[in-house]
Formats: sequence, structure tokens, C-alpha cells
Amino acid sequence: MRVTVDVVGEGTHEVEVGEGGTYADLLEPLEYSRHEVSIVVDGQPVPEDQPVEVDRVRVLRLVQGG
Amino acid sequence: MSLGLDQTQLDRYSRHIILDHVGPAGQAALLNSSVLVVGAGGLGSPIVQYLAAAGVGRLGIVDDDRVERSNLQRQVVHGESDIGRLKVESAAEFVAELNPDVTVETHDLRVAPDNAMELIDGYDVVVDATDNFRTRFLLNDACVLTETPLSHGAVYRFEGQVTTFEREEGSPCYRCLFPEAPPEGAVPDCATAGVLGVVPGLIGTIQATEVIKLLIEYGETLDGRLWNVDAAGMDVETVPLRRNPDCPVCGDDPAVTAIEDVKYADRCRAPSE
Repeated sequence: MRVTVDVVGEGTHEVEVGEGGTYADLLEPLEYSRHEVSIVVDGQPVPEDQPVEVDRVRVLRLVQGG
Repeated sequence: MSLGLDQTQLDRYSRHIILDHVGPAGQAALLNSSVLVVGAGGLGSPIVQYLAAAGVGRLGIVDDDRVERSNLQRQVVHGESDIGRLKVESAAEFVAELNPDVTVETHDLRVAPDNAMELIDGYDVVVDATDNFRTRFLLNDACVLTETPLSHGAVYRFEGQVTTFEREEGSPCYRCLFPEAPPEGAVPDCATAGVLGVVPGLIGTIQATEVIKLLIEYGETLDGRLWNVDAAGMDVETVPLRRNPDCPVCGDDPAVTAIEDVKYADRCRAPSE
């Protein structure tokens, strides 16, 4: 399935995942590891090891600077 | 109706007092309020400046760092002559010069599990203006446990993130979005990635705005929304946030019921993880 991955502050990517592909798989073509981001669906993070069930996600990066 | 404001205060705050939704009552509320600002650096500088100028009556400032020359590109509460001084002393001196109505309480220390609850006790609002995940998670947990509103801001290169956790019914918290901290070094900080000096100014002034609205009880805060501000493209993206029922600290069955439950030295993990 084709999923729109909106990396907040950066832009959107169209990512193909196979049957049973997980949310973590959506990060593979991107430059971010699962530790650096939260994958958000409908305002809440989704477990990265769960199969993708939506066609659009937001990826929010962890930012620490102050 | 002056609500106890003296002539000097009526003059100093006249632009607030004539403003609908602030007025004498709003100004009196600000003067009777207390805010703890954790971090007197890039974000903390404009926050301290604007809260002091607005007449927030009691301002706590927490930081254990000393001013360095490389800070001055963005930490505008400090100056060349402050290099080597404690940031809390430099910031307090700035406030004293700006507004004698404000009582400053300085805390030359790093927020830690054994002092966090005592530090935030008695403040109306806490502001996260820190530069590291351990303190961010610790402040979030302490504010959830004490039901204290928390303003969150963070910056990176040309970007910033800002939101407000009001701690009202159904209000999310930082851990609803990020359940645990990344491994040490996984996310670059400003010292390694850089930051455009004005970006913490942008985000910090939004945080100060949010705090003032909370204190005068007017307007809509960013509770339930996170703003991601990109100064390069001048884009603001709003990300809706919802309370996570599985959140380890504010969820339906929280694993964290006390600060002591969390391993802050180990990615701020909650006990069940």
C-alpha cells in the first residue's frame, strides 16, 4: 500500500509498504531512526511494530534544544 | 477600578489596562501570579524578559550554567560583561533593572528527581526552556503529578516546536506524544547542529504569550496542538495532539505515580517498560 508520510517541518514522502508492513517500515526510506521521531495518527503516537492501517501519517521529530 | 494598582503601576501597565480582556483585573492577576522558568538560555531569555515586563509578580529562574561568549548570539538577557557569571544572576539583574514589581527567585542548580517536586511547588505555571531530554521528561512528569500547567518549547537549526499542556481534563502531556527519551546522542543538540539565533526568540515569545494568557484566563492556548515553526520557509504547521490513554504518566492506568518511579538516567523510562 502507498502511504503519505508527512515529516512535520520538512515535507511529505510517498512510501510503499508491503502486506503486513509496520509503521517502522515507513521510516526506512527516510533519514530518521525510530528513536528520533514519533509516528502520529489522529493526534496520538502509534506503536512502530504494528501493521500500517492508514494511508497517511505524521512524523514528529524529537527536538531538545533550548 | 484600580484593584490595588498604584499610580506608577497604572502608568507602567497602561497599555494592558486599557486593553479589553486584560484591564486592571488582568494586570492585578499578573502581579499576583508566579511562574517558574527552567532554563535561562535561548528560550529562557525572551520568556524572562516578557514575563517580567508584563509584571508577573514572582518569577523563579532555574539554571546551573554560566554565561559563555557563544551564548550571546541568542541568549539576549545576558551581555558581554556577564561572561563567566551565573546565568540566574545575570537574568535576575536584568529583571531588577526592567521591573521592580517582580520578585525573582534564583535557583543555581540542575532540576533533578530529588528537587523537582519541591522546585515547582507553589508556582502557577512552569515553563520548559531547557536544552536536554532528561529535564524535559522530568518537568513533564512533575507537572502532571502536581497538575501544574507546563509550557513546552524546543529549537533546532531554523525550526522550533511549541505547545502548552494546561493539565485540564483530557489535556495531553509530553509523554502522550513521546513516551520515552531517545538514546543519548541520537538527537543532535544546538551545540552540534546549530540554531539561528532568533529562533529561540520566536519560540520563547510564543511561550511567554501562552503563559500570560493562562494567567489572565483569556484566549485559546496551544493545549492539544503543537506548532512547528520553520523560520526558513516561514511555515507554521499545527499538529493536533490527544491525550494517550496508554500514556505512562497521565494515562488511564499510569505506571508513573511518583518521580522516583522513573529511571531518568535510562531514557526516562517508566517502570513497566
